[in-house]
Amino acid sequence: MTARTVLRKEWRLLRADRALRIALGLFGVLLVYALANGVVWTRFQERNIESAQTQNVERAAGFAEELAHIEAGGEPASQFADPRSPFVMGGSSGSHTATLEPGPLSVLAVGQSDLLPYYYDVNIYTNESTLQQNGEVENPVNLMAGRFDLTFVVVYLLPLLVLALSFNVLSAERERGTLALTLSQPVRVRSIVAAKLAFRAMLAVGLVLAVAVVGLLATGGAGSPGRMLLWCGAVVAYALFWFALAAWVNTLRRTSAWNATVLVGAWLVLVVVLPAAINIAADLLHPLPSRVEMITVQREASNEAVNSRSELLARYLEDHPEMAEGVVADDPGFGALSWAATDAVNQQVEVVTAEHDARRAEQIRLVRRYRYLSPALLAQDVIIDAAGTGDARYAHFRDQVRVFAEEWREFFVPAILADEQMTASVLPQVPTYRAVEEDPGDAARRTAAPLTVLGGLVLLVGMGAGVGLGRVRGAD
Amino acid sequence: MIRHIIRKEFTDVVRDGRFRWCSILVGSLLLVSLGHGWVESQRVQRERQAAQATAREHWEGQGEKNPHSAAHYGIYAFKPRLALSFVDDGVDPYAGTSVWLEAHRQNDFMLRPAQDASAAQRIGALTAAQVLQHLVPLLIILLTFGALAGERERGTLRQLLATGVGRRELATGKALGLSGALALLLVPAAAVGAAALVVATPGPAASPLARGAVLAGIYLVYFGAFLALSLAVSAWARSARTALVVLLAVWVVNGFVAPRVAVDLSKWLHPTPSALQFARTMEQDLGSGVDGIAPPDRAAITQALLEEHGVDSVQALPVNETGIYLQESEEFSNQIFDRNYGALWDTFERQTVVHEAVAAAAPLLAVRALSMGLAGTDVEQHRHFATAAETYRREMVLLMNNDMAMNSRSGDFTYAAGRELWEEVPPLDYAAPGMGWVLGNRVLSLIVLAAWLGGAILVARARVQRAEVG
Repeated sequence: MTARTVLRKEWRLLRADRALRIALGLFGVLLVYALANGVVWTRFQERNIESAQTQNVERAAGFAEELAHIEAGGEPASQFADPRSPFVMGGSSGSHTATLEPGPLSVLAVGQSDLLPYYYDVNIYTNESTLQQNGEVENPVNLMAGRFDLTFVVVYLLPLLVLALSFNVLSAERERGTLALTLSQPVRVRSIVAAKLAFRAMLAVGLVLAVAVVGLLATGGAGSPGRMLLWCGAVVAYALFWFALAAWVNTLRRTSAWNATVLVGAWLVLVVVLPAAINIAADLLHPLPSRVEMITVQREASNEAVNSRSELLARYLEDHPEMAEGVVADDPGFGALSWAATDAVNQQVEVVTAEHDARRAEQIRLVRRYRYLSPALLAQDVIIDAAGTGDARYAHFRDQVRVFAEEWREFFVPAILADEQMTASVLPQVPTYRAVEEDPGDAARRTAAPLTVLGGLVLLVGMGAGVGLGRVRGAD
Repeated sequence: MIRHIIRKEFTDVVRDGRFRWCSILVGSLLLVSLGHGWVESQRVQRERQAAQATAREHWEGQGEKNPHSAAHYGIYAFKPRLALSFVDDGVDPYAGTSVWLEAHRQNDFMLRPAQDASAAQRIGALTAAQVLQHLVPLLIILLTFGALAGERERGTLRQLLATGVGRRELATGKALGLSGALALLLVPAAAVGAAALVVATPGPAASPLARGAVLAGIYLVYFGAFLALSLAVSAWARSARTALVVLLAVWVVNGFVAPRVAVDLSKWLHPTPSALQFARTMEQDLGSGVDGIAPPDRAAITQALLEEHGVDSVQALPVNETGIYLQESEEFSNQIFDRNYGALWDTFERQTVVHEAVAAAAPLLAVRALSMGLAGTDVEQHRHFATAAETYRREMVLLMNNDMAMNSRSGDFTYAAGRELWEEVPPLDYAAPGMGWVLGNRVLSLIVLAAWLGGAILVARARVQRAEVG
């Protein structure tokens, strides 16, 4: 009796088992639905990014036209939207939108992409507060409920399918009395159970991987084989963990009903209860520094900066230079003075925010250790990081935006300080944002530890099951 | 007879090791989540009150400046939390904590706590509401799936009925016995919750205890529906195992699948604009007006003022023309904000109705909506506070612009007001909507939940009548 015999027999059994066929079919439908959801969401982001980039081009073209008009002797349309002023060309009406393409595998995992901003308007006023803005417009109830994406199907539902396929892999043989019969042949329980589980694993995991790969190929997202490999690795390891657990429970020689109860209990604890309990523990042990307090501190810091600047015209003109109408607009030092005030505020805000962010990063680092307690958290972590919709890729994007904002200021601020006017000739030199996708190796390095632990768990439980199976006798 | 059944069922369950362990697990999770929620909500409440007080100090102590500059300086508003929010923090982690109220602009709520946390923290936040909505129904299923199917398998159902006890009586007795066992878990939890509510900072809503009582009632209806449903399945199923599988499937769909499908459905039926599109529409509308809402015509305003006062230059006016124009443009932009934000909030509320409607297939959605509502953490109450903050902003800006218009002259950029004027702006004193308003928003959920209870009881009765004996 070879593994092939077992596989063939299993295939026949599966074809005969209507409930199992329905369960697998339903699972397949859910997978396709989840994939379609991911595709719709990815396309939505892509459309927005495209339209933000069109806006960038349009803004530059508008300035070029206006400058040509002025250089030909025309008057600016409005004195306060005069692109010759670096405050205009580098200010909010001249913003350049820096965008982050959806994660390379974002059709497979919505991850944090519905929560975190994927584009920022960069101009001379861009500061740390800009980076705290909200992401996409979304109903908070929808954010709370979460999305029906492949990650959800894999993390929550795949284990249930695995358990349904394997909770009675050995106990059913015993209950039907076929175990003794089978073992009268010159075979080992271990190879039979391994072959049966291998067959079921190929079915369940194969279904997930097939839908994911076909989905990626069909939507043109297969450009990142390294990430794809990580994603598949996480799914396979996570599924194998549940198969190994089911095998181990089967070696305890209880009834199928008992196995089912224990395995569903394990699912409940590992997938639902433990992550929640971990979050409570993390909250208590490593509370995040409060953003509410940060607002207050930021405000105080900027008050200080504001108070130390000139009492220029009861500060009114700083908010409304357009109302000055000849009173001081021609004052040569006004622009530099106004910038100095803005800059002082920015620097204060930056100090406060940097301190806050450092404490926050430390707390998050501590909290992230706890994910090793739950295979569900580990799998989720690797899956969304591999997909490029995890926290890390967004943090990488924010760092790049910071650098770009600095570049932007370096371009315009000297002109502000020197009271220079911008001309059409500088337009082509205005910085544009060039996204630098993080090195795929970074994701691999970040996920190496969790993936190893997940693999270790599979081995550990699998070995436990192997040892247990070695002890099974036909007479049990 | 029924008393015997109740007593037997109660004793059975309480002596059952599985029930004991499950209840200890669920009970301790309930207590931990209640305790953590209470500590956390008290901390947040204190923190926001302190921040609001500091924001007020900043406002009053901003020094002498032009009133319109003061309006630009503005004030931060922090969303207060209701006492009952410790049971259910609802959409709070996803809805922003504070908003900057300044001249010319209605800003978005900033600082969504979820945006600050890591992805792992999204997978499961353990609140009492989560335990009550997810785990207690599971406990009910585990207690009930074998109630009739098990008796039938063991052959004791036939014996029982042979003693002359009615089927309905038997089922009622079992339901009551199981409820008694559950009460051992829920009554202490409710008592702890009520005690926590009594000692909690009251927050901006009246009668927290009444809200708590209604909340408890709603959860009882939810549990009742689950109990009846489980009995019905137990009566219908051929074996206890089938009953368990079917009930677990119902539980997974109710707790995990349906809420997410409702998200897709709501987005598909009532799509929201992208943030980019929303911002662009707002910018366009503010620039050139829309649908008969036109930006103020400064020349016309000046002309009207000159005619009204019979002078021929703005400098000769007894009022500051700039101040009047600024307020006019404020009135204009307010209409644009109402139009755009109003449409967005309306879309959110229509999406919420879709979630409530999906509750017809998954009662969790109805109980979730009601629970968030009573805890003051649903989208409608977020909007209520956002509206209150926006009204406050408008009053503040109006006061500042009027002072500038009346007490300074056109072209006078050196006019400065001081603390007396800042103090004329009252502190932001928010009163949360009452329970009637909250429940009025949730009529659909109330109906669906009641229908679930009624329907489940009817089905259970029918199934018990028709249940096979062995």
